[in-house]
Amino acid sequence: MQLSLNEDQTQILDFIDSLAKPYATVPMHDVSLALESAELDEALVENGFLDVMAVEELGPVTAALVVEKLARLPFAVEAAASAMVRPLIDPELPRPLCLMEEGKTRKPLRFLRPGASVVVVGPSGVKSFTATEEMIAPAQEDTLYGYPVAFLTALPDAMTAHDADAAEITRAWRVAMAAEAAGLLGAALASTVTYVSERKQFGRPLATFQGMRHRLAEDQVMTNTAYWMAMRAAGTGSQADAAMALHHAQEAAKRVCYDYHQFLGGMGMTLEHPLHLWTYRLKLLTAELGGRGAQGLAAAEALWG
Amino acid sequence: MQFEWTEEQDAFRHKIRDFLHANLPDDWEKFSEHGPASPALTAFAREFCVKLADAGILFPHWPEEMGGEGLGPWEQQILAEEMWIAGEPRGGQYMNVNWIGPTLEKYGTDEQKARYLEPITKGQSLWCQGFSEPDAGSDLASLRTRAELKDGHYVINGQKIWTSYAGLADTCFLLTRTSEDKKRGITIILVPMDTPGITVRQIPSLIGEGDIHEVFFDDVTVPESARFGNEGQAWEIVGYSLRNERLGIPRFTLARAALDRAVQMLKAAGDFDSDFVRIEAARCAALCEAAGTANYAVVQRRVDGLAIGSESSSARYATVMAERAVCEFVIEFLPEALAGASPYLKMHHQRGIVAGVAAGSAEIQLNIIASDVLELPREPR
Ligand SMILES: Cc1cc2nc3c(=O)[nH]c(=O)nc-3n(C[C@H](O)[C@H](O)[C@H](O)COP(=O)(O)OP(=O)(O)OC[C@H]3O[C@@H](n4cnc5c(N)ncnc54)[C@H](O)[C@@H]3O)c2cc1C
Repeated sequence: MQLSLNEDQTQILDFIDSLAKPYATVPMHDVSLALESAELDEALVENGFLDVMAVEELGPVTAALVVEKLARLPFAVEAAASAMVRPLIDPELPRPLCLMEEGKTRKPLRFLRPGASVVVVGPSGVKSFTATEEMIAPAQEDTLYGYPVAFLTALPDAMTAHDADAAEITRAWRVAMAAEAAGLLGAALASTVTYVSERKQFGRPLATFQGMRHRLAEDQVMTNTAYWMAMRAAGTGSQADAAMALHHAQEAAKRVCYDYHQFLGGMGMTLEHPLHLWTYRLKLLTAELGGRGAQGLAAAEALWG
Repeated sequence: MQFEWTEEQDAFRHKIRDFLHANLPDDWEKFSEHGPASPALTAFAREFCVKLADAGILFPHWPEEMGGEGLGPWEQQILAEEMWIAGEPRGGQYMNVNWIGPTLEKYGTDEQKARYLEPITKGQSLWCQGFSEPDAGSDLASLRTRAELKDGHYVINGQKIWTSYAGLADTCFLLTRTSEDKKRGITIILVPMDTPGITVRQIPSLIGEGDIHEVFFDDVTVPESARFGNEGQAWEIVGYSLRNERLGIPRFTLARAALDRAVQMLKAAGDFDSDFVRIEAARCAALCEAAGTANYAVVQRRVDGLAIGSESSSARYATVMAERAVCEFVIEFLPEALAGASPYLKMHHQRGIVAGVAAGSAEIQLNIIASDVLELPREPR
């Protein structure tokens, strides 16, 4: 057991910090529902941050740390699937990567666009194809998520079958999402703490009222444990740990998405405050892979058969 | 980051498990329904801790100067986990090896060390902790039990409450008031429990017989040499002691073991097929896991030699969440467990409900997280 960051990990996270500095805050006057940056994406790829998992001395925990770190940015980056799932399927698959449960075409897919690799995971194995314009129906323009999303209208007749175990890919997918959620949870908490520490009503900062303090403290407990469970699941590679980590992250997400917007009052209903850039990603992640129920069933199966 | 135990740590855990397996009586599970502070378990522990001492697993985490092996915080954690999961066969003596011994070593006079350390290492002493009072619970610093120095003796008057082990303890680690200066007016006195003027009354409880007590002090007189540290030094010393004990008991391990037991019983009854029950069980497991990871993050801080403060409150609160979930799960789906069908689950329930109150309540942990982890502006006083 050794839970501190090693030197490599510290260095990588510091490097990401400096590289992502221009993206750490929302551009002035921007009121987007979702933020993306092609330059940021390119810089991450160029510097190899999405490929750390395959490096022997770095591995899946370092990949999870990278994903967690990037999710803290107000910009949505397709890092989780690329950094933590793609290496297990085919490291050369073009990005962005869109992971899809077999048969679940009604659900919006994050980062779906022409040229994206769609990976279909399910009972008939792991298959992929490159999305083209004709297969994609855009989501409604002011879609309420902090990720770019679109729908698949059709699957191609031919897909590339991969020599990968669907259960193993689903496990990695859960861990990747848990790591992403952990970063979002951390950033949303920090953003809310800043607001309620500064905003005054009744002559004192909102954060001095115990009704709010206790809920925020409970949110901290959920956020802290979501982080550690994601890292642990990445480290152990266990099915049970992965399912529990995503279950816990989804439970935390539900809770904080309500709390934090509530704590911002009217400001929490605006696009002027950046909170939604994290929470409205978390909201969509609560539905990932069937939500808490499906994670619970998977964990129960892995733990007790 | 690395989430596997080392070979040595695994071996250490197995050594403890094997020892417990070989030395706990066959009816132990039923027996451990007696709470850790019950007369039955206390008497059992007096023999059992001698065996632990002989086997070198009573205080292996103590530094070598104190006769230990100087094992690290992870080993101390493993030891605590294995004992608690087994129903804590050390009874109240776990306190001796966790914090009383190390605190005696650091702050005790030579006389106090000579008198108290050896019985601890022999598995032969039982302490109680006289902190809480009827009007000083969460607000401990408002305690009023008075100690007055007269002619080289302290005369103690007042009342303690919730004192675990008091009925059978030989010594009380007692917090007294020696001046009106709130935190700096508190002084520790080590009081032999057979001193005239002490009356102990058991409090009937939901958590097992003989666990909690009221202790009355009427003109209890002890020599000045019974004072531990200086007058007014109690707050500092208790702070140090708790640094060895901040995480408290690794309750999440027993909660998780109880959950596994409950699932096995449900399976045997053919009642573990419903998705709802399975999802609820998984939620409980996830909360136990959450508490475990948060606790381990704090242990790592000890390994790294970092100060442990408010992070442990976060871990403690995660533990309360896990305990609550498992207690509720068992009652909802296995009501028979607390009515005779499972001594183990009943034992867990009795211990589990304590998590959010004993050793600093859940709400106090939230206050600490708000102020010291999140660094929110302070509440007005
Ligand atoms: C099984 C058990 C064993 C114990 N063993 C010992 C022992 O050996 N020695 C010893 O000295 N003590 C012992 N205690 C006492 C324990 O430390 C106290 O019960 C605890 O500190 C709470 O104090 P209280 O019971 O007076 O509750 P109170 O302080 O009256 O609290 C009641 C409720 O109010 C809440 N509350 C209090 N203050 C605040 C606040 N500022 N903000 C929000 N909520 C607040 C609490 O969280 C709690 O929910 C034991 C308790 C138990 C249950």
